Amino acid sequence: MRTFLATFFVAISGVLILWLSTDGGRAFTAEEARRLEIRENPRPVPDWQLQNQDAETFTFQDWHGYFIVVDFIYTSCPDVCLILSGNLKNLQKDFAAEENSDKLRFLSITFDPEKDTPQRLKEHLSHFSADFKNWVAARPTSSSQKKAILDFFKVIVIPDEYGGYTHSAGYHIISPDGKLVAIFGMEQMDELRAYLNQALEGQDNASEN
Amino acid sequence: MRLKIKPEKLLLAALIILALPPIQHFLEQSMVTHMLVQLPALTVIGWMLGRALPENWSNKIAPWNRWGITGMTFVVIIMAYWMLPRALDAAVSEWHIELAKFISVPAMGIALGISWPQLNPIAQGVLKLEFWATFMRLGWLYLDLPDRLCANYLLSDQRIMGQLLLLIGSAWAIAWMLRVMFGIRIINT
Repeated sequence: MRTFLATFFVAISGVLILWLSTDGGRAFTAEEARRLEIRENPRPVPDWQLQNQDAETFTFQDWHGYFIVVDFIYTSCPDVCLILSGNLKNLQKDFAAEENSDKLRFLSITFDPEKDTPQRLKEHLSHFSADFKNWVAARPTSSSQKKAILDFFKVIVIPDEYGGYTHSAGYHIISPDGKLVAIFGMEQMDELRAYLNQALEGQDNASEN
Repeated sequence: MRLKIKPEKLLLAALIILALPPIQHFLEQSMVTHMLVQLPALTVIGWMLGRALPENWSNKIAPWNRWGITGMTFVVIIMAYWMLPRALDAAVSEWHIELAKFISVPAMGIALGISWPQLNPIAQGVLKLEFWATFMRLGWLYLDLPDRLCANYLLSDQRIMGQLLLLIGSAWAIAWMLRVMFGIRIINT
């Protein structure tokens, strides 16, 4: 009887722990967990300073009122960042014709600020024939800010075996009121498009009222 | 002349060595050493501690753990938890999860050491087979997945891990087969 009780207790608490630590069976990896967490609890983005490709500094506060799509890159990246930025280019092209596209901005933040000078960031953008008007590439202005930014977005960067980096890849959406509201993976481009369409439409209604 | 050191002390020393930041960092740098060296080492330390437990302790636990059932339930749950990719990631980046690992995995080893010998042979067989199948399933999964499961580890690491799991699983299967078919005992499990 005592064994039965003890087993019952261990089993119930164990299943509960597993349930809670996977957010109810919805997130098994850290990547899934951070996407889910942001969806359920949007967080205000702190006001960091960044330096753009023209070597001008700006803060997130300056971009209040825009939907911002943020991705993380380093310009010497041979693979993932190219796809990330390539997708962003397509997104920029697709949304250029949309009515509210002036409410949409793209921001590529480098996590390799030592190597990625404004000059190199500019080259990176030109490489994707980006429209500089609403796509900015930027670097953190200090290493402590870099760490704070990566920690906030829960982007994990690890050195790879070729002297480059492997990193969490995705598109982070910041709402006009300055909150991180959603994260999409590279495989979720359709969902990202649908989300942005809806968000920009909502923006339309908001301005009419 | 033999040095007389109590085995428990030696095991605790081993646990502390594994917890030393440089060793810990070194073993957690790669998925392979994290999963195939650190976690098994912590389990083995626990297992040996469990076997070295004083008699009166085991007598007190026994009525709560008949046939080792409670202990094995605990073992299965802790193993399942540390198989979650996000648990492994969290252990690398958050100290309190790391602490939980250094407590729960040796505790699981202790439970295993106490409970396994008492477990019904059929239940032993089922669990052993399931454990082996997990090696094969995860090995296949790691080789096949295009994406990384752990944010802290490289895809190439995940591939090597997959190959090793399949290799170990296969070696294990061959050892079992030799024993079942020809009665050759290579390993003791």
